[in-house]
Amino acid sequence: MVHIVGKGAARSRRPAVVATAAVTLLFVAACGSDDNGGGGDDEATGDVSIRFAWWGNPERDEITNQAIEAFEAEHPNIDVEGDSIDFDGYFDRLATEVAAGNAPDVITLGGAYPREYGDRGALLDLSEVEEHLPTDNIDEAALSNGFFSGVQYSIPTGVNTYAMVVNPDVFSEAGVPLPDDETWTWDDYVRIAEEISANTPDGTYGAADRTAPDLIDLYSRQNTGDGLYTEDGQIAIAAETAAEWWQLTTDMMESGATPPASITSELAGQPGPEQTLMGQGLAGMQFDWSNQLPALRSASGADLQLMRAPGESHGVASGMWLQASQSYGIYSGSDHPEEAAQLIDFLVNHEEAAQFIKADRGLPANSEVLAAITPELDDDTAAQAEFIAEVEGEVNPDLIIGPEGSTESVGIVQRLNDEVLFGRITPEEAGQRLVDELNAAIS
Amino acid sequence: MNGTVKESATEQQPDAAGNSGRRSQRNTLAKREGRAAYLFLAPWFIGMLVITIGPILGSLYLSFTDYSLLQPPEWVGLDNFRRMLEDSRLHSAIVVTVTYVFVSVPLQLALALALAFFLDRGVRGLAIYRSVYYLPSLLGSSVAIAILWRQIFGTEGLINQILDVFGIQGEGWVSHPDYALSTLIVLNVWTFGSPMVIFLAGLRQIPTMYYEAAEVDGAGGWTRFWRITIPLLTPIIFFNLVLQLIGAFQTFTQAFIVSGGTGGPADSTLFYTLYVYQRGFGSFDMGYASALAWFLLVVIAGFTAINFLAAKRWVHYGD
Repeated sequence: MVHIVGKGAARSRRPAVVATAAVTLLFVAACGSDDNGGGGDDEATGDVSIRFAWWGNPERDEITNQAIEAFEAEHPNIDVEGDSIDFDGYFDRLATEVAAGNAPDVITLGGAYPREYGDRGALLDLSEVEEHLPTDNIDEAALSNGFFSGVQYSIPTGVNTYAMVVNPDVFSEAGVPLPDDETWTWDDYVRIAEEISANTPDGTYGAADRTAPDLIDLYSRQNTGDGLYTEDGQIAIAAETAAEWWQLTTDMMESGATPPASITSELAGQPGPEQTLMGQGLAGMQFDWSNQLPALRSASGADLQLMRAPGESHGVASGMWLQASQSYGIYSGSDHPEEAAQLIDFLVNHEEAAQFIKADRGLPANSEVLAAITPELDDDTAAQAEFIAEVEGEVNPDLIIGPEGSTESVGIVQRLNDEVLFGRITPEEAGQRLVDELNAAIS
Repeated sequence: MNGTVKESATEQQPDAAGNSGRRSQRNTLAKREGRAAYLFLAPWFIGMLVITIGPILGSLYLSFTDYSLLQPPEWVGLDNFRRMLEDSRLHSAIVVTVTYVFVSVPLQLALALALAFFLDRGVRGLAIYRSVYYLPSLLGSSVAIAILWRQIFGTEGLINQILDVFGIQGEGWVSHPDYALSTLIVLNVWTFGSPMVIFLAGLRQIPTMYYEAAEVDGAGGWTRFWRITIPLLTPIIFFNLVLQLIGAFQTFTQAFIVSGGTGGPADSTLFYTLYVYQRGFGSFDMGYASALAWFLLVVIAGFTAINFLAAKRWVHYGD
């Protein structure tokens, strides 16, 4: 450019300006198209557009998109934009979107998150839209999972229970009979795990170490009647109970019943069911949520079974409980709460949606929907339904959802578990630190 | 743009003779072009204001508040900064980050210099080597490489498979708290390409006559390296040191991906920025996270200032 002199320069610049402008336009266009990416559903000509966010894998995305299409066909004036991401990034993104006032209209929640978001004012009081979203046929206990401070914040997608998954193939390979889950104790569990590890090739373990808040909760309820939290949002678990748990897991690791620390730690960072030891067919027993059974079965290729947790018939109380696997809430800042309510109603109360979603988000909590789809359930889902029906009457009816801040418990337990298994702190210290750190998290 | 300047300059003389009409015409042209320039700069200016400066000032305000993301911020004065004194996870994050910075940066620069020196001695196909070694710098902080790293150093990973050939039972390198940080240090050292390319350019600048003169005086290879190469290269070393130090303090992606966002096992890869992220987006604690971010800014600025002050003693600008 330096050497170009005179009018030639002026002439040569014009194409450059045009080119730059064109590039700028392209850039703007690229940014623009980014906004409506992610959904993947057809651009329906809707008068109202709502966004629905969930976490999950491609299979869940597929069946959910099919349900969305069915909804759009029934409500031609509503355009639903589906928005999915894997579990690890879901809540980080949700927090950011809510902070930016740009949250999805229909939000999928789970565990303690309905309370975390509801008590902070981010969720709509669903009684405001009850004419579009009746809850008469939905299981009371499941509904209570989304009911806090006198407000119904979310509607359960389905019912779930935390239980033991066993792999009969691994048991028979080790020559160990399956336990009677109505009577077995934690001692039986430890002994069986050791036997399996001893009688199978290296790399196959009696049990996976799945230490997590849910499991410690279960153990503590059996032993003391109290779980992690009290009804009024305090910490209920005693340091000694958590210490006992970690003594049990440390002993199991040392005897080879569970994998060495670095494998357990590595697996903890991989949330997919197919990545777990059970999913890889490398464990005899693994605690998991009942709705994971189909995924675990297809990953391992084995005829996995659900069983009651050990010690259920020997403790102070039952440790197991039924819980909403996930729930749907409406963003309090949504411009279209009524349409959002219609979508939730369709997803939880209509057979049509259940035809696609089946028990992917737990067994439908709406009794009529469940009855309607039961004949069509495949073997994997039917096994899950049978198990829940079997334990329904005996599990602990008290379900206490942690208070604000309690969603940090997952990270805290994982960290302490690493520290204990790698021998950096004793089980006693870990028990004490669990109580201290949980207290700090909820304060 | 340069063309424009030249254009008006060459036609300036007749102007001075007093044709005011043409001058004003040209002024309008200049003004128009000035406006055009601002127009084209506007996206950058707006971006700078809206995306960079605005949020930075916003976070300064937030650092004095309790802000849960979901509710409006509440002013708490210096509470967040007081909290930092007692936060044991923060302290372990600082230890992790400082260890990483002071181990990986010197190693990386030493390797970069050594390879640059070697390549500078006339290797055939220099351009190819340069590109190959530079590649990791482009990839190093990407998500894909971090995932690859987790695989390579995993329990069943490449490293352990190689060790297995020699009958050594390897550890789960990224999942063992004693080794996890080392794998990230290795990753950072591996991205030595960008300082290497800069070193190479610097080496090329050193006049060969110095070496020739030294050789005539009987100086050996080492002496020439220490007495000529290193002193004349100090401005480049300094430049690389400042850049890499700042970059290393801000390491995030690798730690986030390799540890699955937890900073684990047992907080052994809990980098400072990862902890900031966890507090802000995982624990609904954006006020505290903002305070942490500002503390990091001050620390990095402090280290850079120390660097510049110390530079007066050891950096020679050869004139």
